[in-house]
Amino acid sequence: MATAATPSSSDERSRVIALGIESTAHTFGVAVVSDKPPYILSDARGHYRPSKGGILPREVAQYFSQVAGSVVREALSKAGVSMDDVDLIAVALGPGMGPALRIGATVARALSSKYSKPLYSVNHGVAHIEIARFLTGLRDPLVIYVSGGTTTIASYLEGRYRVFGETLDIALGNLQDTFAREIGIAPPYIVGGRHVIDICAEGGRFIEELPYVVKGQDVSYSGLLTAAVRLVKKGWRRADVCYTLREIAYSSVVEVAERGLAHTGKKEVVLTGGVAASKLLNEKVEAMTKSHNARFKPIPPKYAGDNGVMIALTGILAFKSGVPPIPPEDAIIRQRWRLDRVDIPWYPMILGD
Amino acid sequence: MVSYDPRRLVGTLVEETSLLARGAESELRLGRFYGRKAVFKLRLPKPYMDPALDSKLRRVRTIREAKVIAAALEGGVPAPRLYMVLPSAGLIVMEYVEGPQLKEVLWRGSLDPGRAGYEAGVILGRLHSLGIVHGDPTTSNYIVSGRGLILIDYGLSEFSTSIEDRAVDVHLFKRAVESTHAGIVGELYGGFLDGYRESMGDPARGVLERVEEIELRGRYVEERRKSVWRM
Repeated sequence: MATAATPSSSDERSRVIALGIESTAHTFGVAVVSDKPPYILSDARGHYRPSKGGILPREVAQYFSQVAGSVVREALSKAGVSMDDVDLIAVALGPGMGPALRIGATVARALSSKYSKPLYSVNHGVAHIEIARFLTGLRDPLVIYVSGGTTTIASYLEGRYRVFGETLDIALGNLQDTFAREIGIAPPYIVGGRHVIDICAEGGRFIEELPYVVKGQDVSYSGLLTAAVRLVKKGWRRADVCYTLREIAYSSVVEVAERGLAHTGKKEVVLTGGVAASKLLNEKVEAMTKSHNARFKPIPPKYAGDNGVMIALTGILAFKSGVPPIPPEDAIIRQRWRLDRVDIPWYPMILGD
Repeated sequence: MVSYDPRRLVGTLVEETSLLARGAESELRLGRFYGRKAVFKLRLPKPYMDPALDSKLRRVRTIREAKVIAAALEGGVPAPRLYMVLPSAGLIVMEYVEGPQLKEVLWRGSLDPGRAGYEAGVILGRLHSLGIVHGDPTTSNYIVSGRGLILIDYGLSEFSTSIEDRAVDVHLFKRAVESTHAGIVGELYGGFLDGYRESMGDPARGVLERVEEIELRGRYVEERRKSVWRM
């Protein structure tokens, strides 16, 4: 079904070009991707960075609406293409923050209508998985997807990515950011390419006082956050608390992945999402994977976080496997769109086949 | 104070064994303990963890599992007999329960599903009455032995009297029945419910109501577990 439905246009023309739009969280990303080498033709991004506190959806949306036009233009000009060369538009309609998602959806609807280009709805989580498969060449991996809003272990089974385990409360990235903010070492959250938690953890030692919670296939971080903030406020050595918080948070998600590997029998592992840029987390996943004789390949940190490339890439896969485009008026955002609700007819295929 | 190195002790004990299975958590080895056939359950060091965290977790989990088994045995639940526990090494030595899994016996059709379900339900009900939830009560973890059904693998067990935790246990059994024994669901699960109600008494009603709630609630959770665990 998947391959039989490949549109004939891809045979007549030499290549398929997609414009991808990402706006689920703090990155407004637009990229142009082709189904033939060098695949990634451009990757333009605008990052919202709060000067103090955390991310306010309304402020993000305001920032997005200011930069949207120039990011789209940058993506097209760097790729050396015009809208006429674009075969399809792909947009992440969820999950994410409503006000932020609406900007991307609005831009996508407008471009699709104005230039009469087919519009593809992409699930942001699925896109993180697809870019990891594309960059690593690992076709059938267990997926560890960790970001500001997500902590999920997933793998493909019978037509969909199935969630094996996840966080019962807050996500891994959210844990790190909130803790850093609460103890007064952020924002900024990233300094010189490193998360402030990593800088804070230098010279730290493991302390016994923080809770490690793995329940079956799931992790829980809220108790860890509360306990860690309390220790810092009571005057414990900050480096020790940072080190231990990170050690527990990473180890528990890797342990759930280890259980997932044992139960699903997969032989490959990928790590994706914003927190996948962490060197230490990559080392831990690699050590776990090795001990089970499975393969792990890291993805470049640049593509760990949110970007338009992964949205365009997933749009191409949907297009090539015959998934129908959606009418622009149906491009409605889905803030809580779970990745296990999406059919993946293109699974046997990755870009470059 | 301890005058031996526990790892060396484990080394000599575990040497004579052969590997039965390796899970995410531990290795199961078959060997002899003072002449008896025994299972050596060894929680292995995790190479990705800080050694202090790793040894703490192995110690705590080993102690918890051993306590659960001891409490279950004391309360009359057919479980493997405990031979030795070495928390610092992550080692539990226990009886090797001989016999096929209930799953296999049911597949072969050599046991009446209603009776088998009833016995399995009595055992889980008794465990719950003792304030213990099993965590993985599937037909793979009931062994058909010479002395009747025996419930094994307490690696995910906890001391809990919460209705939710108990209901999850019952739900796990039901789901295992539906996915592994589709043709005999009515008899097997029906028998299980009779046995569970009988050994639990009044508290069973609240638990079984919660099982229905769990099924209605969060369909995605249902879907995900079923799909992955079936493998």
